[in-house]
Amino acid sequence: MRLPCLRFMVSMRAMLVGAALLTTAALMPDAALAQKRGGTFIVASEGEPGVLTAHLSTDTSAVMIASNVFNGLVSADFKLQPTPELAERWEVSPDERTYTFHMVKNAKWHDGKPVTAHDAAFTLNELTAKNHPRAGAWWPNVEFVRAVDDHTLVIQLKAKYAPFLILLANSLGMGTLIMPKHLYEGRDAKSNPVNRAPIGSGPFKFSKWERGSHVELVRNPAYFRAGKPYLDRVVFRFVPDAATRLIGIEKGELDFLHAYIVPYNEVERLKKSPKVQVVNRGLEMVATNEFLFFNTRNGPLQDVRVRQALAHAIDRNEIRARALFGLGKVAHSHLNSSLGWAFTDKFDVYKTRDVAKANALLDGAGFPRKDGRRFALRLTWDSGKEVEQRSAEIIRSNLREVGIEVTMQTYDRATYIEKTYRQWDFDMAIQNSTTGPDPAIGVTRSYHTRQILKLPFVNAMAYSNKELDQLFDTEYSIIDPKKRAIAWHRAQEILMRDLPGLPLFEFPVLNIASAGFVNAVSGPMGYLEGRENVSLK
Amino acid sequence: MPLLIYAAKRIAQALPLILVIIAINFTLIHAAPGDPVDVLLGQSEADPQVIAQLRTEFGLDEPVPVQLVRYYAKVLTLDLGSSFRYREPVFDLIMSRLPATLLLMGAALFVSTVVAVALGVIAARRPYSALDNSTTLFALAGYSMPVFWLGQLFLIAFALKLDWFPAQGMVSIRAPTEGFGRVLDIAHHLVLPAATYSLYHLALMFRLTRAKMQDVLAQDYIQTARAKGLTEAQTVLGHALPNALLPIVTVLGLNFGFMLAGSVLTETVFAWPGTGRLLYEAILARDYPVLMGLFVCLSTMVVMVNVATDIAYALIDPRVVYR
Repeated sequence: MRLPCLRFMVSMRAMLVGAALLTTAALMPDAALAQKRGGTFIVASEGEPGVLTAHLSTDTSAVMIASNVFNGLVSADFKLQPTPELAERWEVSPDERTYTFHMVKNAKWHDGKPVTAHDAAFTLNELTAKNHPRAGAWWPNVEFVRAVDDHTLVIQLKAKYAPFLILLANSLGMGTLIMPKHLYEGRDAKSNPVNRAPIGSGPFKFSKWERGSHVELVRNPAYFRAGKPYLDRVVFRFVPDAATRLIGIEKGELDFLHAYIVPYNEVERLKKSPKVQVVNRGLEMVATNEFLFFNTRNGPLQDVRVRQALAHAIDRNEIRARALFGLGKVAHSHLNSSLGWAFTDKFDVYKTRDVAKANALLDGAGFPRKDGRRFALRLTWDSGKEVEQRSAEIIRSNLREVGIEVTMQTYDRATYIEKTYRQWDFDMAIQNSTTGPDPAIGVTRSYHTRQILKLPFVNAMAYSNKELDQLFDTEYSIIDPKKRAIAWHRAQEILMRDLPGLPLFEFPVLNIASAGFVNAVSGPMGYLEGRENVSLK
Repeated sequence: MPLLIYAAKRIAQALPLILVIIAINFTLIHAAPGDPVDVLLGQSEADPQVIAQLRTEFGLDEPVPVQLVRYYAKVLTLDLGSSFRYREPVFDLIMSRLPATLLLMGAALFVSTVVAVALGVIAARRPYSALDNSTTLFALAGYSMPVFWLGQLFLIAFALKLDWFPAQGMVSIRAPTEGFGRVLDIAHHLVLPAATYSLYHLALMFRLTRAKMQDVLAQDYIQTARAKGLTEAQTVLGHALPNALLPIVTVLGLNFGFMLAGSVLTETVFAWPGTGRLLYEAILARDYPVLMGLFVCLSTMVVMVNVATDIAYALIDPRVVYR
């Protein structure tokens, strides 16, 4: 008797939250009028995308552009609560399986045709499900997606799935930006020329793509959110070299460096410059941690005591101090702390470096020192990442103190993926991993037994724990966050005990923007979000 | 006419060479670790079905020799294939980037050659003078300095501190220009990358010109020219320089190839939208069709320039006869 009542309350709450957010959104245009209009916002991109849409890959250089041209059904606030976008409101059925989205009626594609629920159904059924690399992670939970009429979309799930709305809100990571059916139906989704000259519903319209140089977007005057956007143009300039990007922002040729390309050693100096501002938000949705993953198939690393010894021997505070120049945080869990409802640091027993304990554990595991040396391990990372290079040097130095010789092996990205994830030819790998927007999406993939596959960014460690698998297989059907958190606390306890990977640090949340703009970041997608709220100061 | 027959023969001889270059590059690229599909899909736990679909689409599930034969068949019909990453014809992609590289390279090559020959001639006339010693030192520094580092120094000094030049790209984005204004804008953006790119070449050509000119100026016929009462300018420019030019033209031809393929660093430092960066990005992404397309185009251009260099010999030195 209690359960249906609870379900009803949860549904009611979802509706009330939706209504409150809708009210807030309705008030936005008035506030919007106060913003200054005009200007060009130039965003630095380290690479050039292959296409300008988000349905084919998770390439960030593509999605950071696509988010300005397209909209998702929903987006999210900084607390990772879903907020309206193309869907102005939604209802969830009492059994938590049916989501009914009511779409805005004034949204138009940039070619003037109306945006309808048929576009949304087509996008999810035909583009996302069949092409996006991450579709396999969640699409099997979907029974059907159907447009009831032009403005009503129904998504029926096979079973309760707690992360569903936030997953839709992570439209950039999951490829759920809504695309025009009339331009994709009957054409190959991968080679459609519209992918290179996109037509969306978003705040900015595609203007031009000068190969090797930049992509220019211009203001969409018919944007469905009246008054927005404020900027005349957003330009994405491809600047591969870090030092040149830095000079670019200091010189005023660039207006935005996102958190992953900010040179950490320059932050203190940049903070003092009147020309730039540091924006300390905008990675909440991706919630990225750096890990030291262990190949649990290999020699000494098969023994959990050895992995624990390594965790005691590695000084993560030193890594934060020297590799991150004191920025960011030491990571105390396999979840990022921005996933506040699920995160706990109470199972991190390695907070203070303890060389004596590391030595005792290694002795106990049957690896005594011989001529001062116990065994050797290889340490692998992607050579394009300086922070990993610095971390690797500290790890090598730390482990030498407990008698472990570390051989450094760094490769370009393609070779690194091949060696680590395809061939499992590594002992320890430094690798960042997104843990958001929900741990069911960000964390399960790395540690579930069924994810021991020769595929990129899954469980290359060959880690397997039956209890954890069971938690992963059931937790996502618990809708109440407090009850879900209990499952995730237990998961973190197991992971911090078994240590298939040691969480090293949480990436610093700091973007650098020109001082002449406001709202350079206005949502938890940060650098990947649409720039409809950015305006001149 | 014999010249044309000679050029046609040289081009015909180069064709098998290009086919061999294709086979070597194709094999090396495919032997290198790393899968284009893994890079293409971004940092995510990709669905195995999506991966398999893409591998089939790109023909990567076939043995490398079969892929090579298919590639030959395409190239012989002048089709360089389609980029894995950009999903558009490789030829179009290269053509969209080539003008920027040719502009950068042409400007660098022209300025450095003119300056180097002039300095070389002056230095050779006054060996071990203050001017000769300082230009030699300058040339040694230019020859030894890594392009990447020099580019950074130029950026800090002339773009950031003095604010004389833009730091990146080929055009201004905040205040775009059209027509002649755009030409000036591109020229403004060209100065720093071209200066960076030219220094190594300038140093090399200077050393070569100086050495060759010193050699020629010591010849008897120069003495004779002076004895005839010719002015110093007539002697040096009319008699000495043409005889010193032959090795300079040879090196110029060779350097064309090096510079065409070696623009990666300069283009990366200055975010210059040329083929060097396209090559670099294609290597990182394992975009095999783009890599192969670039190799084919670069090899062809190097062969053509070498043929042109041979032809230039006859124009400079009437003693050269083609049979």
